[in-house]
Amino acid sequence: MSDTLGRIRDAVADLDLDAVEPLVKEAVAAGEEPDQILETMGAGMARVGELFESGEYFLADLVLAGEMMKEGVAVIEPLLKKEARAGKGTVVLCTVKGDIHDIGKNLVGTMLSSAGFKVVDLGVDVHEDKVVEAVKSNGAKAVALSVLLTTMVASIGDIVAALTEAGLRDQVKIAIGGACTTPELAERMQVDAIGRDAVEAVRIFEGWLA
Amino acid sequence: MSSSHERVLAALELREPDRVPTFDLMNEYATVYEMLGRKPGPTGKLFGNPYTAKVLDRVFPLLTKVPALSAMVSDPELARFAHDAAEAATVMGYDSAWISYFPILRFLSSKKALDIYGRAYDVVLDQQGNLANPMYREGLFAGPEDWQAWDKKPLLALPGKVHQVYSKIVKDFGEKLFIFGFSCYGLYENTWQSLGFSRYTVAIRREKEFMRRYIKFFEDLHCLILEAMADAGLPATVYTDDLAYRSGPMVSPKVIDELYGDAYRRIAETAHRLGMKILFHSCGNTTQFLKLFADYGFDAVHPLEPTAGMELAEVKQLVGDRLCLVGNIDVTHILVDATKEEVFEDVRKAIQDAGPGGGYILAPDHSHPEISVKRLRWMKEAGEKYGHYPLPGREEI
Repeated sequence: MSDTLGRIRDAVADLDLDAVEPLVKEAVAAGEEPDQILETMGAGMARVGELFESGEYFLADLVLAGEMMKEGVAVIEPLLKKEARAGKGTVVLCTVKGDIHDIGKNLVGTMLSSAGFKVVDLGVDVHEDKVVEAVKSNGAKAVALSVLLTTMVASIGDIVAALTEAGLRDQVKIAIGGACTTPELAERMQVDAIGRDAVEAVRIFEGWLA
Repeated sequence: MSSSHERVLAALELREPDRVPTFDLMNEYATVYEMLGRKPGPTGKLFGNPYTAKVLDRVFPLLTKVPALSAMVSDPELARFAHDAAEAATVMGYDSAWISYFPILRFLSSKKALDIYGRAYDVVLDQQGNLANPMYREGLFAGPEDWQAWDKKPLLALPGKVHQVYSKIVKDFGEKLFIFGFSCYGLYENTWQSLGFSRYTVAIRREKEFMRRYIKFFEDLHCLILEAMADAGLPATVYTDDLAYRSGPMVSPKVIDELYGDAYRRIAETAHRLGMKILFHSCGNTTQFLKLFADYGFDAVHPLEPTAGMELAEVKQLVGDRLCLVGNIDVTHILVDATKEEVFEDVRKAIQDAGPGGGYILAPDHSHPEISVKRLRWMKEAGEKYGHYPLPGREEI
């Protein structure tokens, strides 16, 4: 790894907000491959995830790192080969019907993208039909559902039922996450996993798809 | 002073009362009106009925052009609900209650609203068609310029409205009920939600001067509202700032302390100078903040959610000699669909873990529309059964 790439990785990992964008520009000017730069930022993001899991970093730090990734990616986006960005598979992501909380969902999206997944983010308050359509049209093998509110957990069941009805349930794995999710809820809703946070989400999907 | 007042004050001052007092967060239409045995007003139905909703969708945009008119739609409804909530708490026989009055919403349509702090919401109806707490959607400020241009007159009008509404509530129910007023969201919530969380994480590093000014404005406003509450005769207030989520702090406690610590100290000091007690409410796992809450001078902490891993025995050991603990009775199962035995056992354990020596107030760990009033009554009954001081020894209770 070149010195500039190493500095990019460390800047992301150290949450050095104002360093990433200029370093990425420097790396591009020096002829580094955009895919290599992206992978390097992903490595920094993975380090952020480790520090989050160890309790040194907090949710806001994960989100900040995601913002830094966006600033860096904006520089190389026009140069990236699109097919290189779905290396580990496709995950359909949304906050379920009736719930509009998006911090956790966005974070999972950022972490999965950084880890090399193609993320189809359907947004918040998403009807089950949209999930089915997205799984079909993207050939996705995994679905990530975010729900914060206890009152909206039934929407998870609606999505599971809709995927079953569409004959897709056997070919997709479903993970849920969010404040009101518990292992008991996962069992009751017949989903395949529950993620405690965005870092664990990456591990779950890597276990399934990578 | 009534026995409820003495009981709650003793608990807040970490003395042993005659029994563990009770408290509830009275902010859901469904539970409040079930407690009262009355039907709620028709406002929620107007939003839910497709025909009247169409009318609202035409009227609200016109009203938003005249802020005073817009306030006339929502503020009286909220004042009426606050009064009914206090009445419901007395009907339940609670010793104390959190009575909210926050006249901050401005409806844009039957589905959308914004508030005077710069936040956009979706209007939410509960399963019975009542207005429920609106759901935060996004912040309206991209940066300092938007805040600079924001109309702050409605914010500055808050203390006067607060004084007027709580004066009546205290006059009607203040003798029987120890009332915690709540009219202003916390500084952290106000500042991150009006910017959006992603934008906020960047702003606290890149725009420190703006953030300092922004926080100071809300600190000053909060202190003015406390003055209004004290003048209205409230004995206590809730300071609510959700600093944590289920797994822990959203922002590092060190950063929170740097950004908000001085303001928190001033708010707690102001409440005390005015003769009020002040309770810190933060959802989520607040373990890493508990000592800070005590250092800032707050009297009590709520809600200590068991589903976020908050163990009363552990909290009691950490800060039980400095903070009164309020809450911890689960609202995902115990107060929704548990058996009477389960409710009694949960209350018994809470009192066993947090009651010794005083400093515990029995309460649900939050509110939501599906909480069962029957189970709230069981909670209270169990408190009366197990909560008399001197508490029995650990093996007897």
